[in-house]
Amino acid sequence: MMSLLAKWTRENNELAFNCKQQNDELNRDHNNLFSHRRCSSDFHKLLRKLQGIPPHSDHAQLELSVVYNACVCLTALSHFEEAELLLTQAAHRVLELAGEDRGTSDPSVLWRAALKSVAGTALHRHVLSLLCLQWGIWLAKSCLNPIKEFQEEMSLLERQGGAVWDDCRTEAKEKIPNIPRLVLDPRRLAELLKICTAIVQGAERLNEGWNTLSALQAAAALPAPRALIAYTHLLSGSCLAHMNRPQMALQCFRRALETDPRCACALYQSTLLYRQLGNVQAEIQALRILHSTLLLPPTTEPAPAAGRLLSPSLFLCSQSLGSLLSVPSALSVLHSLALKCVIHDRVSEGVENYLDLLAALRSEDQHGVTANTLTAHAVVSTLPKLPRLYLEAAAALLMARRPADCMALCDEVIGTILDLLPDKVLLEDPEDGSVAESREEREEAESGLVKLLWAAAAYLLLGHCYAQQEDWKQAVTHYTRCFNLLVKVHCKNNAFSPQVSAPDKESNQGVDLCVLQRLKGISLAGRGISFAQMDRLREALRDLHLGLQALPEGVSAGQWCGEVLWRLDRRREAAACWEKTWSHTCPPLAEALPVYAQELQSGPLLDPTELRSRLKELGPL
Amino acid sequence: MMEGRCAAEPWAELGLSVKPGAPLVRRGAGTDVFICTGSEEVYVFSAQEKRVRAVLQLPAPVRDLDVSHDKQLLFVACRSGIYRVNFQLLSHSGSSDAGSGPAELKISSDFLAVAADGVSSLLLVDSVLLTLCQTDRSWLLTLYKTPQQSQANRCDVIGSFSLPVVSPSVQGHTESKCVLLCVCLGEVTQPSSPAAASDAGLSRCHLPLRPALFKLLFGVEAALAKSPVILCGLPDGRLCYLPLRLPGSRLRVLQSLEQPVVFIGASAAMETDAGCAGCLVALGKQGRVMLIKAGRAGSERQRGIADFTEGCVPGPVECACVDKSRLYYSTGSDLLTLGLSVGSTGREGQEWAEEASGSTAASLNRPTSLNVSGVVALDQPTCNDAGEVQLLSLSARGRLQRISLPVRGPEEGSNKLPSSAVGRSVGDLLSAIGDVCERASVLEKVIRWKNQTLKQLNQVLNVSFLLTDGAKTEEKPIRCCASVGWSRLLQKDSLNLACVLQNFSPYILERGWTLSLTVLPLSCSPQAAEEARSVNYSFPFCSLCPGESLEVSLPVAAAGDASFPVTVACSLVFSLCSFLGGEEAATPPDLPGGCFSLPLNTLTVDWLHALRLISPTSTQKTLPPQSSSNPAGDLRAFLSSRRAGCRAGDGAPRPEGYSARVRVSSELLGHTLRGQRADPDPKVSESAPRSFCVSLLEWLLSEECGGVRMGHKGDKTDISSSVICGRAPNDATVKLTAKEVHLEEKSDVKEESLVSVEVQVESSSAAAVCGLHHAVLRRIQTLLLKAPVKAWSSNKVQISGLRQTLQRAEIQQGQISEALSVGMSSGQMQRILLRVYQQLRDGPLLMV
Repeated sequence: MMSLLAKWTRENNELAFNCKQQNDELNRDHNNLFSHRRCSSDFHKLLRKLQGIPPHSDHAQLELSVVYNACVCLTALSHFEEAELLLTQAAHRVLELAGEDRGTSDPSVLWRAALKSVAGTALHRHVLSLLCLQWGIWLAKSCLNPIKEFQEEMSLLERQGGAVWDDCRTEAKEKIPNIPRLVLDPRRLAELLKICTAIVQGAERLNEGWNTLSALQAAAALPAPRALIAYTHLLSGSCLAHMNRPQMALQCFRRALETDPRCACALYQSTLLYRQLGNVQAEIQALRILHSTLLLPPTTEPAPAAGRLLSPSLFLCSQSLGSLLSVPSALSVLHSLALKCVIHDRVSEGVENYLDLLAALRSEDQHGVTANTLTAHAVVSTLPKLPRLYLEAAAALLMARRPADCMALCDEVIGTILDLLPDKVLLEDPEDGSVAESREEREEAESGLVKLLWAAAAYLLLGHCYAQQEDWKQAVTHYTRCFNLLVKVHCKNNAFSPQVSAPDKESNQGVDLCVLQRLKGISLAGRGISFAQMDRLREALRDLHLGLQALPEGVSAGQWCGEVLWRLDRRREAAACWEKTWSHTCPPLAEALPVYAQELQSGPLLDPTELRSRLKELGPL
Repeated sequence: MMEGRCAAEPWAELGLSVKPGAPLVRRGAGTDVFICTGSEEVYVFSAQEKRVRAVLQLPAPVRDLDVSHDKQLLFVACRSGIYRVNFQLLSHSGSSDAGSGPAELKISSDFLAVAADGVSSLLLVDSVLLTLCQTDRSWLLTLYKTPQQSQANRCDVIGSFSLPVVSPSVQGHTESKCVLLCVCLGEVTQPSSPAAASDAGLSRCHLPLRPALFKLLFGVEAALAKSPVILCGLPDGRLCYLPLRLPGSRLRVLQSLEQPVVFIGASAAMETDAGCAGCLVALGKQGRVMLIKAGRAGSERQRGIADFTEGCVPGPVECACVDKSRLYYSTGSDLLTLGLSVGSTGREGQEWAEEASGSTAASLNRPTSLNVSGVVALDQPTCNDAGEVQLLSLSARGRLQRISLPVRGPEEGSNKLPSSAVGRSVGDLLSAIGDVCERASVLEKVIRWKNQTLKQLNQVLNVSFLLTDGAKTEEKPIRCCASVGWSRLLQKDSLNLACVLQNFSPYILERGWTLSLTVLPLSCSPQAAEEARSVNYSFPFCSLCPGESLEVSLPVAAAGDASFPVTVACSLVFSLCSFLGGEEAATPPDLPGGCFSLPLNTLTVDWLHALRLISPTSTQKTLPPQSSSNPAGDLRAFLSSRRAGCRAGDGAPRPEGYSARVRVSSELLGHTLRGQRADPDPKVSESAPRSFCVSLLEWLLSEECGGVRMGHKGDKTDISSSVICGRAPNDATVKLTAKEVHLEEKSDVKEESLVSVEVQVESSSAAAVCGLHHAVLRRIQTLLLKAPVKAWSSNKVQISGLRQTLQRAEIQQGQISEALSVGMSSGQMQRILLRVYQQLRDGPLLMV
């Protein structure tokens, strides 16, 4: 029996040695997976040999060590169920050894009994280390209740365990071959688990609306990898943000970033906070840093002792934590950055960002998926549909007075969409539920509408481009094409007229209809202006009137309507028109609507001061 | 090559059969062709040298392989992962020993690029490696980045997409492969250059699709992003697509074939689509074809909707490939081709639309046979300078061949093999059919035989239960009865037992059963004791239906043999060996294996059975009738009687030297005998005294006792007097006399007379007297058992008799003890014992 024991011990030690060595050699993801799989199966085989005989105190120590090793490997593979099964089995065998197996199925009762039965013996630390693994599995499965129950044991485990394991280590140094090796120091595991537990618990409580600041701040002092410490700061920040203390929250996020410069989620949370605060410049700055952080190549993290075998991400998979740690993809960040720049008068910067974005989309390295480096949490993609992105970029280029580039983009969009355009789009009144219409039809109509709007917007932008280049004839042609597309949309219900000036956020169709209406107004106004430039004042006046009808708050339409009236020598009307236009404040660009559906002020502008002076000349009404 | 026919040019015989699963033929760098037969090997065949240049040995069966675009790398998917092989390695190893056989290259885990389980298919798109594998709940399409520098083998995961498995029961065979194809947006404006068209490698991985079709199927976004789209056909019939470079794209289902997808390809459906394919083709295992085209621009209604045309071709489809206008597919037994172009003339606009809405199958042409059998794998067709389409195929027997199709003339489908080849293939087919037929009939026979055997074994079991049922031992439904008779053979008389096995059970006794009869004398003469006393006879028989009987006869004793009575133990023996193996496996029945014995009843043949009657008048003068014609027999009888006389010690033979008597009350007899002969005339009962005696003797000789009947029925009529003479088996003459005796019983109450019948056995042979006496007593015993319990009034009669008997018994006991005392010579002792014996037999008690 003794020789067999020695043989098994040697086998275990060799396996553990191999496992460690492989881990040191290969630190890449899938290779780890491969070697772990082999290790776990090897340990499992050995364990089966050991458990073939009834539990015996002589080799209980070895057996528990092998169980530990096998479970560590299984956990690393995220095979939690199997690992838990092995652990439960081991606990039962420990109880059997003490002769008091009562066949309880409740894990916490079982473990308490197992710990009690080995209290004061050499096996105690082994059972503790197994409990430690069980803790990890509970954590990974987000079962926080048993962890709460075992809170005392856990702390005991850490305090006492350290001493015991130190003893064990000195003991081990004396007679190495007889001590079964472990693939992972249980102390390191306990450390890792402690901070992970603190993080997960913090996230859960935060989600439930509790204040967990003190606990999180205590956790920040624990010995742990930087990334995890950064998470505690991040959570504290989120907690403070919830408590309506944005500045303190920002401080916490900053601390998180100081701890771990790659903590993208802290940056993202900061941008959200800045947006909430309305600090545009800071938001843009944060977005820029966030984007560059996300683009950093995934370096091998400074592997902590436990991190090599068991990645912390294994234990950080609770849902509420996931929502806190989620970060949009780099492309989404770049898009928001570009849009922010364009809207907030940093057009050239925005254009650069848009061009970067398009280049990234075209590049071969882009594969629709973005792997997050540290955590496997879902990556949020807030990227709009590609045609809209193209059109936004085109609008930005137009604003940056690069009509040629803008036209290229628009041509591409039109070339792609044109042969897919429906002849007619028939819209139902969304509030009118009486009309039974199949889902498919509605979807088809909606997708038709969306395509139509894209194409129309592209023509509109082309018109703007030609207008910018003062090729009025071409501009008229393209505005007309835009308008012709737009009139293909019919609303079934006559009473339902899409006179919604503000975007109705509730339904997509509401937004679409709003965009439709705006495009109509803008295109008519554009054509009117072009006509006006061509001195075809009659047509110009008609189009401008129609444009104002479609979009009453149109500034350029109002101004140019006045101008045309003035030129037609209808000065009073012109004055009224101008007055009316000036009564509207020129709205800044908004994020809710596509940029291209707003007035870009790219066309020929009238100087308001000159107009006012004209009005003054005209004298009072 | 003959005009209008397709020619198969064999390139290589790999000499091994192709396993079902994933046979592959794929052109690689230069003139190399990679062949995979579903085993662990990948053969590198050089088309230039027409020989297998190298063999790659992989650690597990190969599932799929693909060649990188720069033709530098080969990726091979196995069960355990994906291996990356550099061609430089191949060319080095190939050139080193060009003269000798193919170079063998062992692919170890050093070549492992991706460690993944259960990869079903792989595809290389630029620098991206795609793998498709099935997990228990979903299909997983995983993207890996292949390293640029050739040193590193490992590939990094870029991401993965999953599609839930529909229902596990649908796909059934997990072994069937998935199909992966990459298509991209074709350029319409740019006319295709001939160089681009001939580049087969590029067209395989980036199949340009007509923009209209591409946009219709995969959406505007994919088109705008110019993203390649991965099409995959799953074994559950779904056709899925994934735009590769679109942010947030998902694996979506395009259509379902509802049968395992075998092939996806793209073809130019119209003459105008020179550069890019205007038609996607999907082919299902059972022959369902789906053609996906863009709706015609001409018809306004079709615009914006992709047109799915479905049809069926005769399956099952093993493999397929497609060129510009035709689909080639193999059913295993034939290679067929299907024209995909929708008639370039005539059918336009209106007509076409009608057809699309009407019968969809009609718009598919009918496939034409190319008469090439056994093709299991095809590579992309190529076109040589003469305009011939050339297919590279692998047959089920491992033959690599190049099939050249003729330049298509105006009439199609005139492709024929040479007549000799046709004859050969017909002959092959016929012989194959013959083989199958033969095998089927053999199997059928075996199954029938087994069924039969099971049925018979069931019968055997039933019989066994019936016979081993301990509850009712006396009347078994399968039993033996017998009759004895003397016969003369080779001047020797012998007593034969005709034993009849009767089956009253509802079961058939069939093959494997043996009737075993063991003849065992109850007592025998001292000299016979040395020999084997019991004799075993076994009679195997074939079938005994319910109600049938089987008669066997066996010799019990020869004349002069006096070892009576003899018991015949009957048993049924079942031998599994003879049951299964038929006649030739006649193993000895005492072999323990495969045999078991079920005892039936036991028959007893006693002296009475063996008695041969002679007429009482001729007792002294003539010899028995049986032996009258035989002087030798007479002589022997005489001699033996002499000897017997000498042995007895007295000077002269005493024909009636010994006697024994049995008395039976007529009341007891009357009951039985009257019951027996109730049917004849009542006169018999009137002449009671005489007829009692006669009928008793008759009964004694005729009664079936212990299941054995006497064979001398013809003699029965002779019994008219109350004296019967006969010859015992030991040739001694015996005389049986029956007479009526009146016993007066003095009683206190009343004088009662009881009529009884006395049977006297007389013979010169003591053995005969003993035997007969025993036999008579046995018969009467059965009589007593049968008789109803009567009033005990007559018992009083016996009392005086009993007293006398008691007194006599006391005296006799005295004599016996005297005889056994010391000092008596053996001769004297014998005489005294004999006398006592005689006395015991002489004064019988009345049986009532």
